[in-house]
Parts: sequence; C-alpha cells; structure tokens
Amino acid sequence: MKPREFLAHSGRQFGTLVGLFALCAVLWALTPHFLTVSNLLNVAQQTSINAVIAVGLTFVIISGGIDLSVGSLVAFSGVVTASLLQRAVPVPLALLAGLVTGLACGLVNGLLITYGRLPPFIATLGLMSVARGGALLYTDGRPVSGFDEEFRWLATGEVLRVPVPVVIMIVVYVIAHFVLRRTPFGRYLFAIGGNEEAALLSGVRVRLHKTVVYGVCGLLSALAAVMLTARLNSAQPIAGINYELDAIAATVIGGTSLLGGQGSVVGTLIGALIMGVLRNGLNLLGVSSFIQQVVIGAVIILAVLLDTAFKRPKR
Amino acid sequence: MTAIPPAAPLTPRAVLTLRGIRKAYPGVVALDGVDLELRAGEVHVLLGENGAGKSTLMKIISGAVACDAGEVLLDGVPIEIRGPRHAQAVGLGIIYQEFNLIPHLTAGENIFLGREPRLLAGVIDQRALLRAAQKILDELGVAIDARSVVSRLSVAQQQMVEVAKALSLNARVLIMDEPTSALTEQEIRELFATIARLKARGVALVYISHRMEELFAIGDRVTVLRDGRHVGTRLIGETTMSELVRLMVGRDLKDQFPKQAAPVGDEALRVAGLRRNGVLHDINFTLRRGEVVGLAGLMGSGRTELARAVFGADPIDGGRIFVGGHERQIGSPRAAIGLGLGFLTEDRKHQGLVLGLSVQENTCLPSVGAFSRFGVMQVAHESAATAARIAELRIKTPGPHQRVVTLSGGNQQKVVLGKWLTTAAGVFIFDEPTRGIDVGAKVEIYQLINQLAARGAAILMISSELPEILGMSDRILVMHAGRIAGEFTAAEATQEKLLAAALGRAGLHAA
Amino acid sequence: MKTHRFLTLSLITGGFALIAGCNRTEPTSAASVAGATAGKPTVALVVKTLNNPFFLDMQKGAEEAARRFGVNLVVQAADREIDVERQMQIIENLIERKVAALCITPSGSREIVPVIVKANQVGIPVVIVDTRADEKALVAAGGKIATFIGSDNYDGGKLAGAFVAEKLGGKGHLAVLEGIPGHETGDARLRGFREAVAKFPGLKIVVSQPANWERDQGFNVFQNMLQSNPTVTALFACNDLMALGAIEAIASAGKAGKIVVVGFDAQPEARAAITKGTMSATVAQFASRMGSTAVENAVKLLAGEKIADFTPVAIELIK
Repeated sequence: MKPREFLAHSGRQFGTLVGLFALCAVLWALTPHFLTVSNLLNVAQQTSINAVIAVGLTFVIISGGIDLSVGSLVAFSGVVTASLLQRAVPVPLALLAGLVTGLACGLVNGLLITYGRLPPFIATLGLMSVARGGALLYTDGRPVSGFDEEFRWLATGEVLRVPVPVVIMIVVYVIAHFVLRRTPFGRYLFAIGGNEEAALLSGVRVRLHKTVVYGVCGLLSALAAVMLTARLNSAQPIAGINYELDAIAATVIGGTSLLGGQGSVVGTLIGALIMGVLRNGLNLLGVSSFIQQVVIGAVIILAVLLDTAFKRPKR
Repeated sequence: MTAIPPAAPLTPRAVLTLRGIRKAYPGVVALDGVDLELRAGEVHVLLGENGAGKSTLMKIISGAVACDAGEVLLDGVPIEIRGPRHAQAVGLGIIYQEFNLIPHLTAGENIFLGREPRLLAGVIDQRALLRAAQKILDELGVAIDARSVVSRLSVAQQQMVEVAKALSLNARVLIMDEPTSALTEQEIRELFATIARLKARGVALVYISHRMEELFAIGDRVTVLRDGRHVGTRLIGETTMSELVRLMVGRDLKDQFPKQAAPVGDEALRVAGLRRNGVLHDINFTLRRGEVVGLAGLMGSGRTELARAVFGADPIDGGRIFVGGHERQIGSPRAAIGLGLGFLTEDRKHQGLVLGLSVQENTCLPSVGAFSRFGVMQVAHESAATAARIAELRIKTPGPHQRVVTLSGGNQQKVVLGKWLTTAAGVFIFDEPTRGIDVGAKVEIYQLINQLAARGAAILMISSELPEILGMSDRILVMHAGRIAGEFTAAEATQEKLLAAALGRAGLHAA
Repeated sequence: MKTHRFLTLSLITGGFALIAGCNRTEPTSAASVAGATAGKPTVALVVKTLNNPFFLDMQKGAEEAARRFGVNLVVQAADREIDVERQMQIIENLIERKVAALCITPSGSREIVPVIVKANQVGIPVVIVDTRADEKALVAAGGKIATFIGSDNYDGGKLAGAFVAEKLGGKGHLAVLEGIPGHETGDARLRGFREAVAKFPGLKIVVSQPANWERDQGFNVFQNMLQSNPTVTALFACNDLMALGAIEAIASAGKAGKIVVVGFDAQPEARAAITKGTMSATVAQFASRMGSTAVENAVKLLAGEKIADFTPVAIELIK
C-alpha cells in the first residue's frame, strides 16, 4: 500500500496511538516510577487479560454483534480448568478442557443468534447469567485454588525476559490481525457487519461465520480465564464480573464502531493499553479509585466523541 | 437560444428566486452561479446528471447547507435561510427520496411531529391532532386514515403523508426528489393528480426525476444543470426530449439504447414450474447464451421475488431449475454463485454493496474464496482483478481502497456490476440496473450488457422503465400477480402490449 | 485529521495535569503521594474497597498513625470488594513505586498469595490486616508475611451466637447471611457462630445463604428467606451491611421488632439501628485500631524492630 492509502486505512489507529504516547509522556513527567522496564512489563501484563478478551469482542462487534457473556465465560472456563488441575489432570489436558468449554459456550451463543434468531444482546445476556450460575454451581460458590508450578508458569514464566502473559497477548494479536486482514473469514466479518443482506447475496455463509465468531470470542475468553487463574493461583466463580464492559471500552477506544463493519484489532490493543496505562499511572500517582473511575469513563466518552465529531464533516 | 427571458411578461409571480448561487466543497465546485426562479402554481422540473448540482441546490433551498455566494429572494425580498427549521417556517418544504417518517407512529402523529396541539399541562390533544391531520389528507384528495400506522402504509401513501406534513407547515414551495422511483403506474397517476391539486392551490413545485417521459406529462418549465452550471430553462411545450438530453449531457446521444444483437447459443438457464406459495405460480422460461431477456411487470408482480428464488435467496416450494442443461438444487446464493449465476439487486445500498468497505473489498466479495489459497487471501490477485474492473467499467474512484459510500450512484452501480464480472458468471440477473443513475452512466451500462451478451452470457433484465425493456431486450417476459402473463419478441412488443399484459388484461400470447 | 489528534492529546494531557494537581493541593488526603517529600518513607495500605464504612474507619486509624510517626501513607482499593484481580494490579503498581511497606486487607485469602510473593522478592515487608492470607497457600508458594493484625473473627462469631441463644432463651429457628464463600473472615465468623449455637439443642439454623457482603443482596436474600422460612426468629449476618439490608426486608414484611438481628463490624449505622431498636446487636471490630496498629507495626519493621507474628485487636459485642 502507498503511504497515503495506509494513512487513510490506519489513520484512526494512528490517532489512538498518539493518545497513548501522550498519556505515557504525561506520566513520565509526573512520576519517575512510570517509565521503567519493569513497570512497562507490569502494565503489559496487567493489560494482557483484558486485551485478549477484547480481541474476541472486537471480532464480534465488527460482525455487527455484541457479546455480554465474556466475563461469565472467564469464570466458568476458569473453574473448569482449575478443578481438573486439582484432580491432577495433566496441565495440557486441563487447558484444552478449559478452552473447549469457552469455545462450546461461544458456539451456543452463535447458534442461538443465527439459528435461534435471537438478538445478540439477548442471547449473550442469557448465557452471561447461565455461565455465571454454572460456575457457582460447579464450585459450590467457592474458589478453586493452589496449582503447581507447571501451570503457574503461564503467569510467572518468561520467554526471552518477557512475561508469558505478554507473549500470549502478542501472539494472539498477531494471529488476530492476520485473520482479520488476510483471510476470507476476516473479510466476511467486515462484510456481514457492514451489510448482512449484501453479504448473503454475495454468497457469504452468513450463519456459519456468525456462529464461528462467537465461538472464537468464547475461546479467547477461556484463554483469558486460564491466564487469570494462573495469575491469581485461584479460579473464582465470581471472577470476571464487568470484564465485558472493560473489553467493550478497549474496543471502542480503539476505534471499532459498535454498529459493525469497521474496526481493527491494532486499535483495540492500543485501547486496552490506554486503559491499562491509565490505571497503572493513576495508581502510581496515588489517585483514589473513585477518581480513576471518572477518568476512565471520561476517556471512553472523549475517544468516541472526537471520533464522531471529526468523521461527520467528511460525509 | 430559446430560453425564456427571466422577466417574461405577465407570468405568475415568482415565489422564490435564486440568483448567482455558488457553493464549493473542498476540491470541487458544486454550484457555480446558478439562477432559478420558481413561480406560484408551476411544476418546475430540475434536470441534470448525477453530480450536476441538483441535490446541492435543493439542500440550499431546504436550509440543509448554506451557499457561499448569491442571493435568495422570497416574494422579492432577500432572505437568508438559516437552517432546515427556518426553511420550513418560511414555507420551503422538501420531500426526500428516503422519507423522514417515524414508522411506528400514526400518519397524523407524523404530520404534526414536534408541533402537536397541546391541552393544558403539555398533554397532547390527540383528537385535535387527528382532526387537523385528517383535514389536510382529505384536502390532498388521498384516501388515508390519519390514525393508520405509517409502517403499514404503502410507499405511495407514505409519500402522501410527507406531502401532508409539508402542507401542514403551509409550504409554498415543495421540492420532490425522485418521487416516482418506488411507485407503481397506478400510484404515479394518483401522485400526478395530487400534484395538479397542489398547483391549483398555488404551490410552486420543484420536480426532480430521471424519468424523462414523466417530465413531459406534468412539467410546466424545465431547468437543466450541468457540472454545477445553469445551462438553460425551457417551457416544456417548446422543447423536446433530445434537446434536453443534449443540454444535460453536453453532446448528442445518438442512441439512448445502443442495442446490439449477439448470436444466440445454447440454453443457459431454464426454469420449469417454479412455485413459491402465495408469491410465484408455475413460472416457466428459458435463457440462452447471448440473449438479453427483459422482464417487465408492475411493482409487486413478483419480478424481484422470481429473481431471488432463482438465485437461492428465498426458498421455493416447487419446480425445477436447470443451469447449462443440468438440473440443479439452488439452496443458497452461495450455491447459485458456484453455478455461475450473478444477481445485481435493485437496491444497491441495502443489498448490493457493503457501503463501509472499499471498492476492492466489494468487488472481490463474492470471489474471496477463489482468491484464497490455504485460507489466506492472495492480495495480488485481488488488486489485479479490481484494477481490471475499474478500467473496463470506467469506475470513477480515487483508488481501489476508496470506500464505496463516497462514490456517486452510477459508480456504485458499476462496482456492483464489477462484483459479478469478477466471479466470471455466465448468467446474469439484473434487477433495475439503471435505477437512479444518470443518462451517461445508463448508456455505459447498456453497452456493458451488450458486451456481456456478445461474450456469450445470458441476461435477464428486470426493469420498470418500458422504453429500457423495449430498447435493450431480444425477448420480453411480462409478469402479473406472480405469473408470467405474456412473452413477446422484440419485434412484436410495444409499450401498449406490455402494459396490457402487466395489468393482466392481455390474452396470453403464444411465444 | 491532524487537529483531531492534537486535540485528543492536549485534552488527555490537560486532564491528567488537573488530576495530579488536585492531589497535590490536598496534602492531608490519603492520596498525597505526589507531594511525598524525600526522606519520609511511604507506607501503603490496600483495603478491599473504600465504599464500605469499615474500611473508611481503618483508613482513618492508619492516617492518624501515619501522622503520629511521620510517614507518608497511600490508601488504595479496588472499586468492588470482590475484585481480586484489580487488587492484585494495585499492589503490583505499588511495588513498582517502591513503597517501603505494604499493609493489605486481602480481597481473597488465596488469591492474594502470588502478589505477596512478588513483594517478598523485592524485599517489601507485608503486613496483613483484618482478613488472613491462606496459610497453606502461602507456605506452598514460599511466601511470608511480617505479621497479621486483626480481631479473631472466630471469637466474634461465638460472641454473636451466645447472644442469640440468650436472647431467644435457647430455642428457635435461625437464619444466617454469609459473606462470599471461601473467604477466610466470613468462614471464621460463621464457624464461631455455628459452634456457639450448637451447644443449644433448641436452636436450629434453618437457612444459611451467601449475600456476598452487600447491602442490597442482604435485603433480597433475606426477603426470600422470610418467604420460605416464616418461622425464623433470629438472623446472624456476617457483616453489618447485610444485616442493615435484612432489616429493611424485615420492615417491609411487617415483622419489625419480631426478629433478633445480629451483625458484625459495629458500623455507625448499625450502632444507630441498635439505639433505634431495629437491630439487636453487632460485634465491634475496631477497624480504626487495626489501621493504626498496622501502620505502627510497619514503622517498627522499617526501624528494624522485632514484632509479634499476630497482634490481636480486641473484639466486643455491642447491644
């Protein structure tokens, strides 16, 4: 692509990136603790879980849907993995079981939406409650905790001095970006989100791809669940409450339209990092958690406000 | 020049006069010194190709955009239109192609939306509202109950609600943008009757349409715009269609319908006994390679439904479909595309294009699978195909990555055509291929149809414009009430015969 | 396009400067890190949440001690009491900031362990307050804490149980509102309560369900309990918030004054309810003393003094 076309394509992400850098610059000026290698890795690690969930949500939102169940799926897949680990099931098998749980729940979402013709909001709202209840039932409401080092490596290990969660996040984003930009599946998501009828009449298997995208979202929630469980050395049935909102926030800050048909995972990554950096920075500055909530809300509103304000005259 | 001098004597007084209107957008001058004079009780037709500046001019009158230079006089007094509400308040109304009605409110509530009569304490006086709304509808001479919910009204009735809404604001100038594009013949006649009543009340009407024959039926004067300039104003009675076309295009169009017959080959598509309960009944027809078959019929006669059923977009209840002589089950558009069918839908914005995606992404959408290897798209193939389409269809776009929403109607339609050329389809179903696009682009699309036929493609062309059907088809099918009600060769067909068949009044012709 | 970016940038920048500025002008606030002066060590107190009066009391006590000993104090918490991941992030960020000592009220007894280990690795002493860290998990992970400061919740539960028995004359149907399951504090209170009532064969716990420490859930859960168990004559709630919620449910069921309600924490509102007669008793936990003792111990640690493994904070029943 020529530079001009690249900018037209990626201008929005570029803007968000400038916002992220600006944020970092301000924090650098305000506190000496921010711009250190260990703190930046720390931020990346803290961002990784939200970032992984947000990829799945970005896919779903680009396809014109929404998934409210991700937080509950984190809890459910987490306790499934954890309970298997406690029964001395080999780590790879327990991981696989957790991921399959997430995938299966996601596919249920997808089938309810495509074949059941439920609006995505309703279907995933339902599953949000079902999965949460399932997690509580399965564990009798108690956290499942205490795993061996092999599993904990997912949180504590390092690859080339980079923490494993950050490595997982990077790998997920590279794959997701490739899928979105270079595979028919990715292209179809944009087409379905942009105009489902036109996609159908162009021979796109709309129902298949819509079902799959919710499966992917569930799978990524389960991956986040595994990361969270390893990090806390515990899986809680009440984990992941409000995670869907954090993930939606990252997606929206990253420039993905809630109306579907446009967006990018690169933007979402930057959005998730903005949220992570904000929280980290406000902690470092000792700002109270109440003000933090106000600031994060304001950033979401600001990002979308600027987006729409500067898009309008171009039409 | 035979233009009427602006100060023609003793004509009805001018309600609205525009002088020297100029409007520039970054990089393009949309209007350059345009004059327009609207008189009470006239139907003033505004003609011009897409991009000639008609919509910008209308937006200025309706207050949606402000002009850069020039003056607007209302009853001879200079006025500055400050915005849409202000325009309404001074009696300038507009009815857009896409209506601004709230579907789940009643006709009456829509007419008085935002200006509901109130009782004390701000409660809406529903009875007064309905009474006033019904009075306006009755005066218009339309049979609409003010209590009926808008979403249950036909398109024509919704349009009348829009007209009533404008009249409730005491509109003295009423702009109608392509008012007949979605109406049946009968509804058009009713619309024209209403327009006559409005004229009698002294309303000045601006009428925008691409259908030239309509202009002669109802217009009084016509103003032609080209490239943002005023190129002439004529009395309808003193001009001809060819003069107007010449003014619009800036050159002579030798032939509006450049039909070239291609050699007819083998059977490409055959439909036998096709049935869709309540919609299609016992449909039989054949398309041959190199043949253009026109499909005429009124709105609601089942033309589009037939196309969708053949293409697998709607389920069928019976019948057989043969492609290239073999019987096929077509369960989905995907299956149809796999068999070499292409379907250009009548509604390109809602069904044909993904407006937010680029020219390239739209052009390649049905072919994404073919352009992929091991699940990865081959960008080079996509770019090459898109570049080829842009060149052969002469699509005016800054580049393949331009979002199609920014293109003009004609160019958007070419992108839809490009989609099906890219799939290398052999059977094309074109549903209203030239709707809402300008004369120049129409001719280009006709030429493309010729080329496709010459290459051996079979084409089914659905159209509401009888001249187009007559001008471009080798054979013509006419639908009425879900059945094929007539079949004509190009030689024997006339407008009268087609219309009679479409109205279900013809004895069935032997093919 | 470009203006857009710069506007975003300047707005975010401006917002930040404003927030940082606010903090600086409030030197008395707990969040006075930006104003930290060189030389003074910074002690951090991380509680479960700052929208529960119990922890606000703890914060007050800690602030008082910080002034007394001349140290900087940072108090932080997640928005939700149960958000263990967020609490972990906050502590990680404080470790990054290189605070001198950490006082923590864990949101999750086991979930807190990994981050204690992180603090150990960089040599920041950890003082646990109010809620114990899970002993077994801590040992397994090789983590260690400097001391635990807190009331014996088990004893508090016993006090509550004995009170209920006395009030009912050793006979009646009891209901219990639990905290979040698997939570050390709540479990200990519950254990103490159950053991105390078990001594009276006439007392029977007919229903016991979690209301997750929250007031609105206390209301809902107890309302449902009253529907299914109309014979209940006494309620033990593992904290005051749930008890206060339950009182509203009792009032709306028209049973005001007919059910003995015992809470835990002795929050001001609970004390007021006892005065009014809508609530019978609460177990006083002296959060403020916990806060000050925690800071005091942290200061001692920094001065190299030896401290006890466990500093009990008195507990008493308020009737």
